[in-house]
This record gives sequence, C-alpha cells and structure tokens, in this order.
Amino acid sequence: MMDQWVYATTGLHEKDFEAGQVLVETWEGKAEYAWDTGIAMGRFLEELRRGRLVGRRCNSCRRILFPPRMFCELCFRPTAEWVTLGQTGTVITYSLVHVRWDMVRLEQPQVPAVIAMDGAAQGMGILHLLGEVAPEKVKMGMRVQAVWKPAEDREGSITDIRYFKPIR
Amino acid sequence: MAFADTLEHPTEARAWKGSIPVWHRYTAGIAGERFLRTLQEQGKILGARCEPCGVTYVPPRMYCERCLKPLAESSWTEVGPRGELVSFTRVYLDLDGNRLETPRWVGLVRLEGASGVLLHYLQAPEGALLRSGMKVEAVLKPARDRRGSILDILHWKVL
Repeated sequence: MMDQWVYATTGLHEKDFEAGQVLVETWEGKAEYAWDTGIAMGRFLEELRRGRLVGRRCNSCRRILFPPRMFCELCFRPTAEWVTLGQTGTVITYSLVHVRWDMVRLEQPQVPAVIAMDGAAQGMGILHLLGEVAPEKVKMGMRVQAVWKPAEDREGSITDIRYFKPIR
Repeated sequence: MAFADTLEHPTEARAWKGSIPVWHRYTAGIAGERFLRTLQEQGKILGARCEPCGVTYVPPRMYCERCLKPLAESSWTEVGPRGELVSFTRVYLDLDGNRLETPRWVGLVRLEGASGVLLHYLQAPEGALLRSGMKVEAVLKPARDRRGSILDILHWKVL
C-alpha cells in the first residue's frame, strides 16, 4: 500500500560528477570560529600549560567539579574556590578505536577512556587517551596517571597531557 | 601569577580558534535538471501542473506538494515568457556586504501560467517608476552563453 508513495531514486557516482552528467553547484566554505573559553575553562587551560589540573569547589554540596565550572549545577549557585587536583585517576570506561575521527584507519587501536580524577566529585570524568598499555590489558577500574608533554611544548590545551598510563 | 577572576590584561582573555572545512555539491534533481536543460537548450521555461489542485509549479516538481500526486511528463507545460511584476526592490550591496558599483533592481514575477513567483534581476529604463502589476518579459542570454543555470535568464524586462 505504501508503494504508491515510493519514488524511484537515482544514485550518482563520483564519475558522474567528473563526466559532467548532472548540473551541480559546488560551494566550499571554511567555518572559522573563535570560541570564548570563559573564566573556568580559561584558567583550566592555563593551568594545563603549567602541568596542573584544577577544579572548582562548591561550598554548598562540597563537590569538586572537574573540569571546573563557575556555578554548581546541583545547587545552582556560584562555585567558591579553585582546587588543584592530583595527577592520578581511575578508568571508568574505555573504547578501542580502529578508525580515527577523520576516518583514517588505524593499525594499532587508540584507546580513548573516561577517567575520573582522584578528588573530583562522583560522576565527573574527562575523556582522554590511554597510553603505554596493551589494548587487551585495559580494564575498567584501572588506576592511571597523567603523562605530560615537555613544558616547552604545552599550549594550554587538553593535549598538553599526552595520555594516561597505568600506575604500576 | 595573575590568576584573578577578573582579567587585568586583555591578552589573557582566551579564545579557542578553529575552523571547520565544509563543502557541498548541490544537484538540481531530476525535475530541476530537466527544467534547467530545457532553459539552456530550448530557451523555454517549464512548469508542472497538478490539475486537481489547480497549481502550476515553476520550477517543476516531481510530485504535487499539496496532494502528493506524481506530476508525469504529460503534466509539464511551458510558462511565460511574459508575466506580471508582483513585487520588487532595489539592491545596493552584494552577498558579502560590499557596495555594488551600480545598484540593481530585483523583482518577483508571476509568469503567465505559473502559480508561484520567481525572483530575478529586473531591467527597467533609467528613472522609470516601477509598480506592482506591471507587465514584464523574461529576457534570456544568447543560446551559446547559456549554461543550464537560472542565470540563463538574464533579467525580467519591463514592457
């Protein structure tokens, strides 16, 4: 019954475009942006450049938010102070990635993981890569520590941490 | 160690800069392709009529937007080249906001036989007073200059 509404479609291949088989309009744009980091992320990134991890504490619920936020989403009030966290944390979950974000096939899988840093509130985690560990050896609950780029190579970016490695 | 929550030096304001490459290829579709090719090769403007709805679509559609009836080739018809000026305006800037050397008129025209309107440049004699309802005619580029684009129509000419 639905067939009456189904129209035959026409697929196009790359060669059809190359051969000029169809009329086509091409547009190439570069969406440039400047994302204002704001106070919390601005300081977070600046501290990364200095090899430190900072969060913000809410004086009402006493949670440490990491990455930092200027307001607490549970208490709905401004957070009170900066807190420097340690370099260690726990793997909450992870994935083995064989195709990179830009569609490049990887021979050796990357291992992105959600890591809960020690001291941060329950449920907080950051996404980063695991390194110096065989993919098959990665476990949820694994204890890890940050491995940084040399100071002179840091830019104030999350990639100033190269990856997290197992604490042995 | 200037870590005050208010910035003292504007250079400390951080922005994360990036760019996302985007590109697209936009095809005319089956009906659009036929409309543009006919314009290019035969110098004719086509529409497609849905008789039950009493609507003639310009450019033509594969099916009626209102009742979803397929609009077969037999329902395709020629419209124009004359029509009525429905509305118009004077354009002073290009798409990037730069001032045009010479301002241009653009007009919405309902071609004879069409239900809807088409937007294009409007050619009027210098100092002419334009009015909705004026009769216009589509002026096409010479056949050898047509490319299968809506710009194969050069402009509407006020009669």
